[in-house]
Amino acid sequence: MNRYPRWPIHLALIMASFVMLVPFYWVAKTSVSGENIYAYPPSIIPTRVQPFFYVDVWYAIPFARYFLNSLAVSVIAVIANVIFNAMAGYALTHGFRGKNVVLMLFLSCMMVPFQATIIPAYLITGKLGLLDSWLGLALPQCSTIICIFIFKASFDAVPRSLIDAARIDGLPEWRIIWHIMMPLSTAAIATNVILAFIWSWNNFLWPLIMTRSADMQTLPLGLARFLSYQEDTTGALYAFCIMVLAPGLLLFLLAQKEFIRGLTSGATKG
Amino acid sequence: MLKHRTRQTLLLWCFLAPSLAIFLLYRVMPVVWNFVLSFQYWSPLKPAEFAGFDHYEDLWYDDVFWQALWNTLLVIASAPIGIALALGLALLVNAEIRCRDVYRTIIFLSYPLMTVAVAIIWRWMFDERVGLINYVARSLHLVDKPIPFLNSFTWALPSVIAANIWQMLGFYMIILLTGLQSIPHELHEAAAIDGASSWRRLRSITLPLLRPSIFLAFVVGMLNSITSFDLVYVMTGGGPGRATEILVTYIYKLGFVQTKFDEAAAVTIVFFVLLIVTAWAANRLAGGNAGAAEIE
Amino acid sequence: MKRWLLNRFVLVPGAIALVALLWNIYVATHDHGHITGRVVDLAGKPVADASVVLWVYNFTTYQEHSHVKTDDAGVFRFMNNPSHRIQLSAEKPGVGRSERIPVFLYFRAEDFDLATPLKLAPSG
Repeated sequence: MNRYPRWPIHLALIMASFVMLVPFYWVAKTSVSGENIYAYPPSIIPTRVQPFFYVDVWYAIPFARYFLNSLAVSVIAVIANVIFNAMAGYALTHGFRGKNVVLMLFLSCMMVPFQATIIPAYLITGKLGLLDSWLGLALPQCSTIICIFIFKASFDAVPRSLIDAARIDGLPEWRIIWHIMMPLSTAAIATNVILAFIWSWNNFLWPLIMTRSADMQTLPLGLARFLSYQEDTTGALYAFCIMVLAPGLLLFLLAQKEFIRGLTSGATKG
Repeated sequence: MLKHRTRQTLLLWCFLAPSLAIFLLYRVMPVVWNFVLSFQYWSPLKPAEFAGFDHYEDLWYDDVFWQALWNTLLVIASAPIGIALALGLALLVNAEIRCRDVYRTIIFLSYPLMTVAVAIIWRWMFDERVGLINYVARSLHLVDKPIPFLNSFTWALPSVIAANIWQMLGFYMIILLTGLQSIPHELHEAAAIDGASSWRRLRSITLPLLRPSIFLAFVVGMLNSITSFDLVYVMTGGGPGRATEILVTYIYKLGFVQTKFDEAAAVTIVFFVLLIVTAWAANRLAGGNAGAAEIE
Repeated sequence: MKRWLLNRFVLVPGAIALVALLWNIYVATHDHGHITGRVVDLAGKPVADASVVLWVYNFTTYQEHSHVKTDDAGVFRFMNNPSHRIQLSAEKPGVGRSERIPVFLYFRAEDFDLATPLKLAPSG
């Protein structure tokens, strides 16, 4: 391996990091100081730091209600995801008639983006009577194909000897899953939880077309509505941005490895 | 013995049932429904009538549709720019330096964020009067007067594309990084011993072996940018005039603002066909069976 | 059990929940809506019997909410402030009026004591 100087690499990466981080800093700065809404040239260091825009946001919109809606929908989606995907992944580790058809179906569903289904999805949810409810908001997101394959790969890696021993002992199927395979697949469960939560938390289009009453709106919807009420005249909009970004960032920083592993499992053998 | 087999198969199908139900309900049926709906006159109040190709004919003569289609094609064509940048970053991060995990985290930070918030941030950064982009451009004396990025017909779509690339850069980089790290070291060492320069090694070893990752990054990037409803809706709402209207926003406006569900269904079918064709073309360009996500 | 408890997925949400609980307890015990302060004249002497007005933020503007008079020591006390964003102004005919001082609170009806007194300056 040849020796090459390291500092140009560090320099380039620092510049790239700077470009990626500057928007965060800018928003955080304005959310505590309210500058650069009208003033030009912009100041780099905030003067007159005050946290009261956050108080404004809390009372100007029903933030607690929106937060509760987003949280409830995400929790439903995550729990349903883990259960359904684990079940489907387990079923796919066995061979049975029609398995290839099912696999083809799943793979082709990956190519259908959500945006191509909004009109029928809306009509179907209406027919089910689930418009404007947490269950209706969560339902299209209750299963994802990437996560099914993650579970399948994780279950495939469980040694057959364990399963055979359990079968000989007479355990029923669901107990095999619950007591043997799930504890060995905590990584897959963690990845599933993170991915499902983030996708459900950030979802904007589906709540936009589904919710009728202001009560059931989720955070992204509330943010967009806040923008159209207040335009960008106060630092409150940016405080709202920070309040909305914080949970996603926190979750990402807590669970980086699982998140990245889940996203790249398609880049290696599924 | 037979009874146990059928019981087990039945159980497996029961396990598959919930996921299958959701996909049938929310992925398969909608495609079929859209297809049927695009050939009918239908509104929620009247029963359906057969319409033949009328809606498609209306689309053919619809200027907005062509503008949206053109914009969508431009957005797809911009995905390689992001991938090229991410490839550079991935090569840098893959080098043996300290703190590479820190760099990786920082660059990936933009992906898990709410796109609505990202759109608001970039909307403000591109602002004509107080935006950071204009400030930097004017400080570096690149321009004299501020550029109205989101209000001009020429700059609106590139601005949206730039914001999209900013958000996706980390994601592309992670995919390419995973691919880079799966190239065995011995190949590079053997080539270095044989006297190949770094540049030569990059071209002949790294890039060909990276093809599946590049293909995957392109498909994901294309899927993401073709469906970037959130970004366009919040940043420009379709742009000055229709300058940033993409097919997805047009579907939304036709279906849920003008409640013309049947015409929106026709646009959806065109959108879906475009998606399939682009993925197939990318597959051909990558040399067929690009090797991503092989299932045993 | 201990290993399960020290897991970062339990620690971090647990810490957040604890902070939220403590904050809510603090808010619940301090939200009577009492605003107190003093009124002085230009020389710094307390002014008795000045009328103080509480303005409450309402969407885009401030509206008058309640009036109160200062006692002999120049101290005024509001009992039922409902808002998180208010302004205070004082005046006494013959002595002058003060500017409208904005007060930002951390939560609605926070009990607050104005640190710098309202200064009455002769108008005109």
